[in-house]
Amino acid sequence: MSCWLAGLLLIGVLGGCAQAPMNAPLAAYRPDAGYRFTTLDAGDAGDGDGLYVALAFSGGGTRAAALSYGVLKALADTPITWQGKRKRLLDEVDLISTISGGSFTGAYYALFGPGIFTDFESRFLKRDIQGELGRQLWNPVNWIRLASPSFDRIDLAAELYDRTVFNGKRFDALTAARHRPFLVINATNMSLGRRFGFIQDQFDGLGSDLGPYPVARAVAASSAFPLLLSPVTVRNYPAPPGYERPAWVDGALGDYEVNRRRYQRAREWTLYADKAGHPYVHLIDGGLADNIGLRDVIDSAQDAARPGSIRQLMNQRKIRRLVVIIVNARTEPPETIDTQRRAPGALEVAMKTATVAMDNYSFETIELMKDLAGAREQARRAVEDCRRLLADRCPSAAQPPPLNEIRFSIIEINFDSIADPKEREEFLSLPTSFALPPATVDRLIAKGGELLRQSEVFQELVEELK
Amino acid sequence: MEYLLVHFPERRRVLIDGNDQGRTDETLELERGTYIVTLSPPLDYKPKKRKVALKRTSPVSPLEIRFAKRHASDK
Repeated sequence: MSCWLAGLLLIGVLGGCAQAPMNAPLAAYRPDAGYRFTTLDAGDAGDGDGLYVALAFSGGGTRAAALSYGVLKALADTPITWQGKRKRLLDEVDLISTISGGSFTGAYYALFGPGIFTDFESRFLKRDIQGELGRQLWNPVNWIRLASPSFDRIDLAAELYDRTVFNGKRFDALTAARHRPFLVINATNMSLGRRFGFIQDQFDGLGSDLGPYPVARAVAASSAFPLLLSPVTVRNYPAPPGYERPAWVDGALGDYEVNRRRYQRAREWTLYADKAGHPYVHLIDGGLADNIGLRDVIDSAQDAARPGSIRQLMNQRKIRRLVVIIVNARTEPPETIDTQRRAPGALEVAMKTATVAMDNYSFETIELMKDLAGAREQARRAVEDCRRLLADRCPSAAQPPPLNEIRFSIIEINFDSIADPKEREEFLSLPTSFALPPATVDRLIAKGGELLRQSEVFQELVEELK
Repeated sequence: MEYLLVHFPERRRVLIDGNDQGRTDETLELERGTYIVTLSPPLDYKPKKRKVALKRTSPVSPLEIRFAKRHASDK
Protein backbone atom coordinates (compact mmCIF):
# COMPACT_ATOMS: atom_id res chain seq x y z
CA MET A 1 0.00 0.00 0.00
CA SER A 2 2.76 2.40 0.93
CA CYS A 3 4.52 1.59 -2.38
CA TRP A 4 1.33 2.50 -4.26
CA LEU A 5 1.04 5.73 -2.33
CA ALA A 6 4.69 6.53 -2.93
CA GLY A 7 4.26 5.75 -6.64
CA LEU A 8 1.20 7.97 -6.93
CA LEU A 9 3.00 10.73 -5.08
CA LEU A 10 5.98 10.41 -7.45
CA ILE A 11 3.69 10.56 -10.48
CA GLY A 12 1.99 13.58 -8.99
CA VAL A 13 5.29 15.37 -8.33
CA LEU A 14 6.87 14.52 -11.70
CA GLY A 15 3.62 15.14 -13.55
CA GLY A 16 3.30 18.49 -11.90
CA CYS A 17 6.60 19.44 -13.57
CA ALA A 18 5.26 18.84 -17.09
CA GLN A 19 4.39 22.14 -18.74
CA ALA A 20 3.16 22.79 -22.24
CA PRO A 21 4.97 25.72 -23.87
CA MET A 22 3.05 28.95 -23.43
CA ASN A 23 2.96 31.93 -25.78
CA ALA A 24 5.38 34.71 -24.87
CA PRO A 25 4.40 38.24 -23.80
CA LEU A 26 5.04 41.06 -26.23
CA ALA A 27 7.83 43.34 -25.00
CA ALA A 28 6.72 46.32 -27.08
CA TYR A 29 4.07 46.98 -29.67
CA ARG A 30 5.58 47.28 -33.14
CA PRO A 31 3.08 47.35 -35.99
CA ASP A 32 5.95 47.21 -38.49
CA ALA A 33 7.37 43.94 -37.13
CA GLY A 34 6.25 40.38 -36.53
CA TYR A 35 4.32 37.96 -38.69
CA ARG A 36 1.94 40.25 -40.59
CA PHE A 37 0.97 40.48 -44.22
CA THR A 38 2.45 43.96 -44.36
CA THR A 39 5.93 42.89 -43.17
CA LEU A 40 6.39 40.42 -46.03
CA ASP A 41 7.73 41.38 -49.46
CA ALA A 42 5.14 41.60 -52.20
CA GLY A 43 7.37 39.78 -54.66
CA ASP A 44 8.18 41.23 -58.06
CA ALA A 45 8.96 44.90 -57.59
CA GLY A 46 6.34 47.27 -58.82
CA ASP A 47 3.49 44.86 -59.32
CA GLY A 48 3.63 42.37 -56.47
CA ASP A 49 -0.08 42.73 -55.75
CA GLY A 50 -1.34 43.06 -59.32
CA LEU A 51 -2.09 39.36 -59.51
CA TYR A 52 -3.31 38.36 -56.07
CA VAL A 53 -3.84 34.66 -55.43
CA ALA A 54 -5.47 33.38 -52.25
CA LEU A 55 -5.82 29.72 -51.34
CA ALA A 56 -8.25 28.33 -48.75
CA PHE A 57 -7.53 24.81 -47.50
CA SER A 58 -10.37 23.08 -45.68
CA GLY A 59 -10.31 20.66 -42.81
CA GLY A 60 -10.70 16.91 -43.24
CA GLY A 61 -7.58 15.22 -41.80
CA THR A 62 -5.11 13.61 -44.22
CA ARG A 63 -7.79 13.65 -46.92
CA ALA A 64 -7.81 17.47 -46.87
CA ALA A 65 -4.02 17.70 -46.56
CA ALA A 66 -3.48 15.43 -49.59
CA LEU A 67 -6.11 17.14 -51.74
CA SER A 68 -4.65 20.60 -51.07
CA TYR A 69 -1.13 19.24 -51.69
CA GLY A 70 -2.36 17.97 -55.08
CA VAL A 71 -3.61 21.48 -55.87
CA LEU A 72 -0.23 23.00 -54.89
CA LYS A 73 1.50 20.54 -57.22
CA ALA A 74 -0.85 21.47 -60.06
CA LEU A 75 -0.18 25.18 -59.45
CA ALA A 76 3.55 24.45 -59.59
CA ASP A 77 2.96 22.83 -62.98
CA THR A 78 0.98 25.79 -64.33
CA PRO A 79 3.15 28.24 -66.27
CA ILE A 80 1.82 31.78 -66.66
CA THR A 81 3.00 35.07 -68.07
CA TRP A 82 2.44 38.11 -65.89
CA GLN A 83 3.83 41.51 -66.72
CA GLY A 84 5.90 39.93 -69.46
CA LYS A 85 7.56 37.44 -67.14
CA ARG A 86 7.23 33.69 -67.34
CA LYS A 87 6.60 32.08 -63.97
CA ARG A 88 4.52 29.43 -62.24
CA LEU A 89 1.09 30.25 -60.87
CA LEU A 90 2.28 28.84 -57.53
CA ASP A 91 4.87 31.65 -57.33
CA GLU A 92 2.05 34.20 -57.32
CA VAL A 93 0.28 32.83 -54.23
CA ASP A 94 -0.07 35.68 -51.71
CA LEU A 95 -2.27 34.24 -48.99
CA ILE A 96 -3.01 30.75 -47.68
CA SER A 97 -5.76 30.40 -45.11
CA THR A 98 -6.01 26.96 -43.56
CA ILE A 99 -8.10 24.80 -41.28
CA SER A 100 -7.23 21.57 -39.48
CA GLY A 101 -5.88 18.97 -41.97
CA GLY A 102 -5.32 21.71 -44.55
CA SER A 103 -3.13 23.52 -42.02
CA PHE A 104 -0.43 20.84 -42.32
CA THR A 105 -0.08 21.44 -46.07
CA GLY A 106 -0.30 25.23 -45.83
CA ALA A 107 2.20 25.47 -42.97
CA TYR A 108 4.63 23.04 -44.59
CA TYR A 109 4.61 25.00 -47.85
CA ALA A 110 4.96 28.35 -46.09
CA LEU A 111 7.94 27.03 -44.08
CA PHE A 112 9.76 24.87 -46.60
CA GLY A 113 8.64 26.22 -50.00
CA PRO A 114 9.42 23.87 -52.87
CA GLY A 115 10.82 21.38 -50.33
CA ILE A 116 7.22 20.28 -49.83
CA PHE A 117 7.40 18.45 -53.16
CA THR A 118 10.37 16.43 -51.95
CA ASP A 119 9.38 15.08 -48.58
CA PHE A 120 5.88 16.09 -47.43
CA GLU A 121 4.40 12.79 -48.54
CA SER A 122 6.84 10.73 -46.49
CA ARG A 123 6.96 13.13 -43.53
CA PHE A 124 3.24 13.54 -43.15
CA LEU A 125 0.76 12.38 -45.77
CA LYS A 126 1.76 8.71 -45.82
CA ARG A 127 2.39 8.34 -42.10
CA ASP A 128 0.06 6.79 -39.60
CA ILE A 129 -0.08 9.94 -37.48
CA GLN A 130 -3.11 8.66 -35.64
CA GLY A 131 -1.28 5.44 -34.67
CA GLU A 132 1.78 7.40 -33.58
CA LEU A 133 -0.37 9.64 -31.41
CA GLY A 134 -1.99 6.56 -29.90
CA ARG A 135 1.43 5.05 -29.08
CA GLN A 136 2.39 8.28 -27.31
CA LEU A 137 -0.50 7.65 -24.96
CA TRP A 138 0.86 4.17 -24.13
CA ASN A 139 4.24 5.53 -23.10
CA PRO A 140 4.41 5.48 -19.24
CA VAL A 141 6.55 8.62 -19.25
CA ASN A 142 3.64 10.42 -20.90
CA TRP A 143 1.22 9.07 -18.28
CA ILE A 144 3.23 11.01 -15.74
CA ARG A 145 3.29 14.12 -17.92
CA LEU A 146 -0.43 13.90 -18.59
CA ALA A 147 -1.04 13.88 -14.85
CA SER A 148 0.01 17.53 -14.86
CA PRO A 149 -2.80 20.08 -15.06
CA SER A 150 -0.58 22.06 -17.45
CA PHE A 151 -0.07 19.30 -19.98
CA ASP A 152 -2.70 17.56 -22.06
CA ARG A 153 -3.20 15.23 -25.03
CA ILE A 154 -2.99 18.11 -27.53
CA ASP A 155 0.47 18.95 -26.17
CA LEU A 156 1.66 15.44 -27.03
CA ALA A 157 0.28 15.90 -30.53
CA ALA A 158 1.95 19.31 -30.88
CA GLU A 159 5.28 17.83 -29.75
CA LEU A 160 4.97 15.04 -32.30
CA TYR A 161 4.20 17.47 -35.14
CA ASP A 162 6.98 19.80 -33.97
CA ARG A 163 9.60 17.04 -33.88
CA THR A 164 8.65 14.97 -36.90
CA VAL A 165 6.94 17.33 -39.34
CA PHE A 166 7.89 20.96 -38.73
CA ASN A 167 11.51 20.62 -37.50
CA GLY A 168 10.88 22.82 -34.47
CA LYS A 169 10.20 25.88 -36.64
CA ARG A 170 8.75 28.97 -35.01
CA PHE A 171 6.74 31.81 -36.57
CA ASP A 172 9.94 33.84 -36.46
CA ALA A 173 11.17 31.67 -39.33
CA LEU A 174 8.21 32.74 -41.45
CA THR A 175 8.81 36.40 -40.61
CA ALA A 176 12.53 36.11 -41.34
CA ALA A 177 11.83 34.53 -44.74
CA ARG A 178 10.03 37.83 -45.56
CA HIS A 179 8.25 36.41 -48.58
CA ARG A 180 4.71 35.47 -49.35
CA PRO A 181 2.53 33.47 -49.18
CA PHE A 182 1.23 34.84 -45.93
CA LEU A 183 -0.05 31.92 -43.91
CA VAL A 184 -3.13 32.20 -41.70
CA ILE A 185 -3.63 29.08 -39.59
CA ASN A 186 -7.15 29.22 -38.21
CA ALA A 187 -8.43 27.78 -34.94
CA THR A 188 -11.64 28.48 -33.02
CA ASN A 189 -11.81 30.52 -29.82
CA MET A 190 -13.92 28.26 -27.60
CA SER A 191 -15.30 31.08 -25.51
CA LEU A 192 -16.34 33.33 -28.41
CA GLY A 193 -17.03 30.56 -30.89
CA ARG A 194 -15.17 32.72 -33.40
CA ARG A 195 -12.24 32.28 -35.75
CA PHE A 196 -8.78 32.83 -34.27
CA GLY A 197 -5.89 33.37 -36.69
CA PHE A 198 -2.26 32.73 -35.78
CA ILE A 199 -0.96 36.08 -37.02
CA GLN A 200 0.68 38.91 -35.11
CA ASP A 201 -2.31 41.23 -35.61
CA GLN A 202 -4.38 38.76 -33.57
CA PHE A 203 -1.61 38.20 -31.02
CA ASP A 204 -1.34 41.97 -30.49
CA GLY A 205 -4.76 41.72 -28.89
CA LEU A 206 -3.35 39.07 -26.54
CA GLY A 207 -0.35 41.25 -25.70
CA SER A 208 1.71 38.36 -27.02
CA ASP A 209 4.63 37.81 -29.40
CA LEU A 210 3.79 35.19 -32.02
CA GLY A 211 7.43 35.02 -33.15
CA PRO A 212 8.74 32.35 -30.72
CA TYR A 213 5.54 30.30 -30.90
CA PRO A 214 5.95 26.86 -32.54
CA VAL A 215 4.13 26.56 -35.87
CA ALA A 216 3.33 22.97 -34.85
CA ARG A 217 1.27 24.20 -31.89
CA ALA A 218 -0.77 26.46 -34.15
CA VAL A 219 -1.39 23.53 -36.49
CA ALA A 220 -2.30 21.36 -33.47
CA ALA A 221 -4.81 23.99 -32.30
CA SER A 222 -6.25 24.24 -35.80
CA SER A 223 -6.78 20.47 -35.87
CA ALA A 224 -7.73 19.87 -32.22
CA PHE A 225 -10.85 17.86 -32.99
CA PRO A 226 -13.26 18.29 -30.06
CA LEU A 227 -13.29 15.47 -27.50
CA LEU A 228 -10.55 13.46 -29.27
CA LEU A 229 -7.98 16.16 -28.57
CA SER A 230 -7.94 18.74 -25.83
CA PRO A 231 -7.86 22.51 -26.62
CA VAL A 232 -4.63 24.51 -26.93
CA THR A 233 -4.43 27.24 -24.29
CA VAL A 234 -2.76 30.62 -24.79
CA ARG A 235 -2.24 33.41 -22.28
CA ASN A 236 -3.90 36.79 -22.69
CA TYR A 237 -1.23 39.16 -21.35
CA PRO A 238 -1.58 42.82 -20.41
CA ALA A 239 -1.19 45.16 -23.37
CA PRO A 240 2.47 46.03 -24.05
CA PRO A 241 3.83 49.58 -23.83
CA GLY A 242 2.82 51.67 -26.80
CA TYR A 243 -0.13 49.52 -27.72
CA GLU A 244 -3.31 51.33 -28.66
CA ARG A 245 -6.58 49.83 -29.60
CA PRO A 246 -7.02 50.03 -33.39
CA ALA A 247 -8.80 53.26 -34.32
CA TRP A 248 -11.55 51.49 -36.29
CA VAL A 249 -12.80 49.72 -33.16
CA ASP A 250 -14.25 52.93 -31.68
CA GLY A 251 -16.38 53.67 -34.73
CA ALA A 252 -17.41 50.05 -35.20
CA LEU A 253 -18.61 49.67 -31.60
CA GLY A 254 -21.32 52.20 -32.39
CA ASP A 255 -22.35 50.35 -35.53
CA TYR A 256 -24.50 47.65 -33.97
CA GLU A 257 -27.57 48.59 -36.01
CA VAL A 258 -25.62 49.68 -39.08
CA ASN A 259 -23.20 46.79 -39.60
CA ARG A 260 -23.48 43.85 -37.25
CA ARG A 261 -20.41 42.05 -38.71
CA ARG A 262 -18.16 45.03 -38.11
CA TYR A 263 -19.62 45.54 -34.66
CA GLN A 264 -18.95 41.88 -33.84
CA ARG A 265 -15.31 42.16 -34.89
CA ALA A 266 -14.93 45.25 -32.70
CA ARG A 267 -16.56 43.51 -29.78
CA GLU A 268 -14.04 40.67 -30.06
CA TRP A 269 -11.26 43.22 -29.60
CA THR A 270 -12.88 44.50 -26.43
CA LEU A 271 -13.15 40.97 -25.06
CA TYR A 272 -9.46 40.28 -25.66
CA ALA A 273 -8.77 43.63 -24.00
CA ASP A 274 -10.59 42.39 -20.90
CA LYS A 275 -7.50 40.76 -19.40
CA ALA A 276 -9.09 40.10 -16.02
CA GLY A 277 -12.14 38.45 -17.51
CA HIS A 278 -10.21 36.43 -20.11
CA PRO A 279 -6.67 35.73 -18.81
CA TYR A 280 -6.55 32.59 -20.97
CA VAL A 281 -7.91 31.73 -24.41
CA HIS A 282 -8.72 28.12 -25.26
CA LEU A 283 -8.45 27.14 -28.90
CA ILE A 284 -9.95 24.16 -30.68
CA ASP A 285 -10.35 22.88 -34.22
CA GLY A 286 -10.73 25.74 -36.68
CA GLY A 287 -13.46 23.76 -38.41
CA LEU A 288 -15.95 24.78 -35.75
CA ALA A 289 -15.84 28.41 -36.84
CA ASP A 290 -15.22 27.83 -40.57
CA ASN A 291 -14.44 24.43 -42.02
CA ILE A 292 -13.15 25.61 -45.37
CA GLY A 293 -10.70 28.34 -44.38
CA LEU A 294 -12.44 30.90 -46.56
CA ARG A 295 -13.72 33.26 -43.87
CA ASP A 296 -10.32 34.86 -43.44
CA VAL A 297 -10.19 35.57 -47.19
CA ILE A 298 -13.73 36.99 -47.11
CA ASP A 299 -12.93 39.16 -44.10
CA SER A 300 -9.85 40.38 -45.93
CA ALA A 301 -11.97 41.17 -49.00
CA GLN A 302 -14.47 43.16 -46.92
CA ASP A 303 -12.54 44.71 -44.07
CA ALA A 304 -10.46 47.65 -45.29
CA ALA A 305 -9.30 48.40 -41.74
CA ARG A 306 -7.15 45.29 -41.61
CA PRO A 307 -3.63 46.30 -42.68
CA GLY A 308 -2.76 44.69 -46.01
CA SER A 309 -6.28 43.39 -46.53
CA ILE A 310 -7.52 42.56 -50.00
CA ARG A 311 -10.01 45.43 -49.70
CA GLN A 312 -7.27 47.89 -48.81
CA LEU A 313 -5.17 46.73 -51.76
CA MET A 314 -8.24 47.07 -53.99
CA ASN A 315 -8.83 50.62 -52.76
CA GLN A 316 -5.18 51.43 -53.36
CA ARG A 317 -5.67 50.25 -56.98
CA LYS A 318 -3.02 47.59 -56.55
CA ILE A 319 -4.99 44.43 -57.28
CA ARG A 320 -5.99 43.93 -60.89
CA ARG A 321 -6.65 40.21 -60.85
CA LEU A 322 -7.97 38.35 -57.81
CA VAL A 323 -7.85 34.57 -57.82
CA VAL A 324 -9.35 32.57 -54.95
CA ILE A 325 -8.95 28.80 -54.98
CA ILE A 326 -11.00 26.95 -52.37
CA VAL A 327 -9.93 23.37 -51.72
CA ASN A 328 -12.91 21.84 -50.02
CA ALA A 329 -12.39 18.21 -48.93
CA ARG A 330 -15.96 17.85 -47.69
CA THR A 331 -17.36 14.33 -47.77
CA GLU A 332 -20.84 12.96 -47.77
CA PRO A 333 -20.86 9.33 -46.67
CA PRO A 334 -23.80 7.26 -47.92
CA GLU A 335 -26.86 8.04 -45.83
CA THR A 336 -29.01 5.17 -44.58
CA ILE A 337 -31.18 6.73 -41.89
CA ASP A 338 -34.12 7.10 -44.26
CA THR A 339 -34.16 3.34 -44.94
CA GLN A 340 -35.33 2.45 -41.45
CA ARG A 341 -38.58 2.98 -39.56
CA ARG A 342 -36.58 3.40 -36.35
CA ALA A 343 -35.73 7.01 -35.56
CA PRO A 344 -31.98 7.81 -35.48
CA GLY A 345 -30.30 7.35 -32.10
CA ALA A 346 -28.78 10.04 -29.92
CA LEU A 347 -25.28 9.63 -31.40
CA GLU A 348 -26.56 9.92 -34.99
CA VAL A 349 -28.62 12.98 -34.06
CA ALA A 350 -25.60 14.53 -32.33
CA MET A 351 -23.38 13.92 -35.37
CA LYS A 352 -25.98 15.38 -37.72
CA THR A 353 -26.46 18.37 -35.44
CA ALA A 354 -22.74 19.06 -35.58
CA THR A 355 -22.18 18.50 -39.29
CA VAL A 356 -25.35 19.68 -41.06
CA ALA A 357 -25.11 23.24 -39.75
CA MET A 358 -21.41 23.39 -40.63
CA ASP A 359 -21.96 22.04 -44.16
CA ASN A 360 -24.69 24.60 -44.77
CA TYR A 361 -22.46 27.36 -43.39
CA SER A 362 -19.57 26.26 -45.63
CA PHE A 363 -21.85 26.28 -48.66
CA GLU A 364 -23.06 29.79 -47.83
CA THR A 365 -19.49 30.96 -47.20
CA ILE A 366 -18.43 29.92 -50.70
CA GLU A 367 -21.50 31.56 -52.22
CA LEU A 368 -20.76 34.75 -50.25
CA MET A 369 -17.28 34.90 -51.81
CA LYS A 370 -18.78 34.51 -55.28
CA ASP A 371 -21.44 37.14 -54.49
CA LEU A 372 -18.76 39.59 -53.36
CA ALA A 373 -16.89 39.18 -56.64
CA GLY A 374 -20.12 39.45 -58.64
CA ALA A 375 -21.28 42.57 -56.79
CA ARG A 376 -17.95 44.30 -57.36
CA GLU A 377 -18.08 43.65 -61.09
CA GLN A 378 -21.71 44.79 -61.19
CA ALA A 379 -20.78 48.03 -59.38
CA ARG A 380 -17.94 48.71 -61.80
CA ARG A 381 -20.21 48.17 -64.79
CA ALA A 382 -22.91 50.40 -63.28
CA VAL A 383 -20.40 53.26 -63.04
CA GLU A 384 -19.21 52.65 -66.59
CA ASP A 385 -22.79 52.68 -67.89
CA CYS A 386 -23.56 55.84 -65.94
CA ARG A 387 -20.47 57.60 -67.30
CA ARG A 388 -21.34 56.56 -70.85
CA LEU A 389 -24.92 57.76 -70.51
CA LEU A 390 -23.86 61.08 -69.02
CA ALA A 391 -21.25 61.62 -71.70
CA ASP A 392 -23.87 60.90 -74.32
CA ARG A 393 -26.88 62.77 -72.97
CA CYS A 394 -25.55 65.30 -70.51
CA PRO A 395 -21.93 66.06 -71.40
CA SER A 396 -21.69 69.00 -69.02
CA ALA A 397 -22.62 66.93 -65.93
CA ALA A 398 -19.91 65.80 -63.51
CA GLN A 399 -19.17 62.10 -63.88
CA PRO A 400 -18.62 59.68 -61.00
CA PRO A 401 -15.02 58.45 -60.95
CA PRO A 402 -14.61 55.01 -62.50
CA LEU A 403 -14.01 51.94 -60.36
CA ASN A 404 -10.83 50.24 -61.50
CA GLU A 405 -11.26 46.95 -63.29
CA ILE A 406 -10.50 43.86 -61.23
CA ARG A 407 -10.86 40.43 -62.82
CA PHE A 408 -12.08 37.75 -60.44
CA SER A 409 -11.58 33.99 -60.61
CA ILE A 410 -13.30 32.11 -57.78
CA ILE A 411 -12.52 28.41 -58.07
CA GLU A 412 -13.83 25.65 -55.82
CA ILE A 413 -12.32 22.19 -55.79
CA ASN A 414 -14.54 19.53 -54.28
CA PHE A 415 -15.45 15.89 -54.73
CA ASP A 416 -18.98 16.74 -55.89
CA SER A 417 -17.58 17.79 -59.24
CA ILE A 418 -16.12 14.34 -59.99
CA ALA A 419 -17.98 13.28 -63.13
CA ASP A 420 -17.93 9.51 -62.67
CA PRO A 421 -20.67 8.60 -60.11
CA LYS A 422 -18.83 5.57 -58.72
CA GLU A 423 -15.58 7.44 -58.28
CA ARG A 424 -17.43 10.44 -56.81
CA GLU A 425 -19.06 8.21 -54.22
CA GLU A 426 -15.70 6.66 -53.33
CA PHE A 427 -14.12 10.04 -52.64
CA LEU A 428 -17.20 11.36 -50.85
CA SER A 429 -17.03 8.32 -48.56
CA LEU A 430 -13.41 8.74 -47.45
CA PRO A 431 -12.99 8.96 -43.69
CA THR A 432 -11.66 11.95 -41.74
CA SER A 433 -8.47 10.52 -40.29
CA PHE A 434 -4.76 11.16 -39.90
CA ALA A 435 -3.98 7.73 -41.33
CA LEU A 436 -4.94 6.88 -44.88
CA PRO A 437 -3.49 4.09 -47.05
CA PRO A 438 -0.66 5.39 -49.30
CA ALA A 439 -2.62 4.42 -52.42
CA THR A 440 -5.55 6.56 -51.25
CA VAL A 441 -3.19 9.46 -50.58
CA ASP A 442 -1.79 9.09 -54.12
CA ARG A 443 -5.31 9.15 -55.55
CA LEU A 444 -6.20 12.25 -53.55
CA ILE A 445 -3.07 14.07 -54.71
CA ALA A 446 -3.80 13.21 -58.33
CA LYS A 447 -7.47 14.14 -57.91
CA GLY A 448 -6.60 17.57 -56.47
CA GLY A 449 -4.65 18.46 -59.62
CA GLU A 450 -7.21 16.89 -61.92
CA LEU A 451 -10.15 18.76 -60.37
CA LEU A 452 -8.26 22.04 -60.58
CA ARG A 453 -7.38 21.53 -64.23
CA GLN A 454 -10.94 20.53 -65.13
CA SER A 455 -12.41 23.68 -63.55
CA GLU A 456 -13.71 25.94 -66.32
CA VAL A 457 -12.85 29.07 -64.35
CA PHE A 458 -9.30 27.79 -63.90
CA GLN A 459 -9.03 26.97 -67.61
CA GLU A 460 -10.13 30.52 -68.48
CA LEU A 461 -7.61 31.94 -66.01
CA VAL A 462 -4.74 29.89 -67.45
CA GLU A 463 -5.75 30.82 -70.99
CA GLU A 464 -5.74 34.52 -70.12
CA LEU A 465 -2.40 34.30 -68.33
CA LYS A 466 -0.64 32.31 -71.06
CA MET B 1 -20.39 47.75 -49.85
CA GLU B 2 -20.49 51.55 -49.46
CA TYR B 3 -18.72 54.23 -51.46
CA LEU B 4 -16.80 57.30 -50.36
CA LEU B 5 -15.28 60.07 -52.44
CA VAL B 6 -12.90 62.49 -50.74
CA HIS B 7 -12.01 65.83 -52.35
CA PHE B 8 -9.04 68.08 -51.72
CA PRO B 9 -7.48 70.65 -54.04
CA GLU B 10 -4.33 68.54 -54.25
CA ARG B 11 -3.79 64.86 -54.91
CA ARG B 12 -3.39 63.24 -51.49
CA ARG B 13 -3.56 59.84 -49.80
CA VAL B 14 -6.78 59.28 -47.87
CA LEU B 15 -6.52 57.73 -44.42
CA ILE B 16 -9.51 55.90 -43.02
CA ASP B 17 -9.17 55.36 -39.27
CA GLY B 18 -5.47 56.05 -39.77
CA ASN B 19 -4.95 53.51 -42.57
CA ASP B 20 -4.02 54.46 -46.12
CA GLN B 21 -6.96 53.49 -48.29
CA GLY B 22 -6.23 55.18 -51.57
CA ARG B 23 -6.33 58.70 -53.00
CA THR B 24 -8.51 61.75 -53.16
CA ASP B 25 -10.91 61.95 -56.10
CA GLU B 26 -11.04 58.16 -56.37
CA THR B 27 -14.02 56.18 -55.13
CA LEU B 28 -13.14 54.15 -52.04
CA GLU B 29 -15.08 50.99 -51.23
CA LEU B 30 -15.75 50.42 -47.55
CA GLU B 31 -18.10 48.42 -45.39
CA ARG B 32 -21.18 50.13 -44.05
CA GLY B 33 -20.24 51.93 -40.85
CA THR B 34 -18.67 54.88 -39.08
CA TYR B 35 -15.17 56.10 -39.94
CA ILE B 36 -12.72 58.90 -39.23
CA VAL B 37 -11.30 60.36 -42.45
CA THR B 38 -8.03 62.29 -42.59
CA LEU B 39 -5.41 63.01 -45.25
CA SER B 40 -1.75 62.13 -45.42
CA PRO B 41 0.78 64.85 -44.39
CA PRO B 42 1.44 67.70 -44.64
CA LEU B 43 -1.30 68.75 -42.23
CA ASP B 44 -2.30 71.71 -44.38
CA TYR B 45 -5.97 70.84 -44.61
CA LYS B 46 -9.09 71.58 -42.66
CA PRO B 47 -11.00 70.32 -40.86
CA LYS B 48 -8.40 68.11 -39.14
CA LYS B 49 -10.66 65.10 -39.50
CA ARG B 50 -14.13 64.19 -40.64
CA LYS B 51 -16.34 61.59 -39.04
CA VAL B 52 -18.54 59.91 -41.63
CA ALA B 53 -21.38 57.43 -41.38
CA LEU B 54 -21.40 55.40 -44.56
CA LYS B 55 -24.73 53.92 -45.51
CA ARG B 56 -27.14 53.96 -48.42
CA THR B 57 -24.51 55.06 -50.94
CA SER B 58 -24.06 53.59 -54.39
CA PRO B 59 -21.10 53.44 -56.78
CA VAL B 60 -22.67 56.20 -58.90
CA SER B 61 -23.69 58.24 -55.88
CA PRO B 62 -20.92 57.95 -53.28
CA LEU B 63 -20.82 60.00 -50.11
CA GLU B 64 -18.69 63.01 -51.02
CA ILE B 65 -16.72 64.97 -48.45
CA ARG B 66 -14.33 67.86 -48.91
CA PHE B 67 -11.23 69.05 -47.16
CA ALA B 68 -10.09 72.60 -47.78
CA LYS B 69 -6.55 73.88 -47.98
CA ARG B 70 -5.50 75.46 -44.70
CA HIS B 71 -3.34 78.50 -45.05
CA ALA B 72 -0.84 79.86 -42.57
CA SER B 73 -3.28 82.66 -41.70
CA ASP B 74 -5.94 80.09 -40.66
CA LYS B 75 -6.18 79.39 -36.98
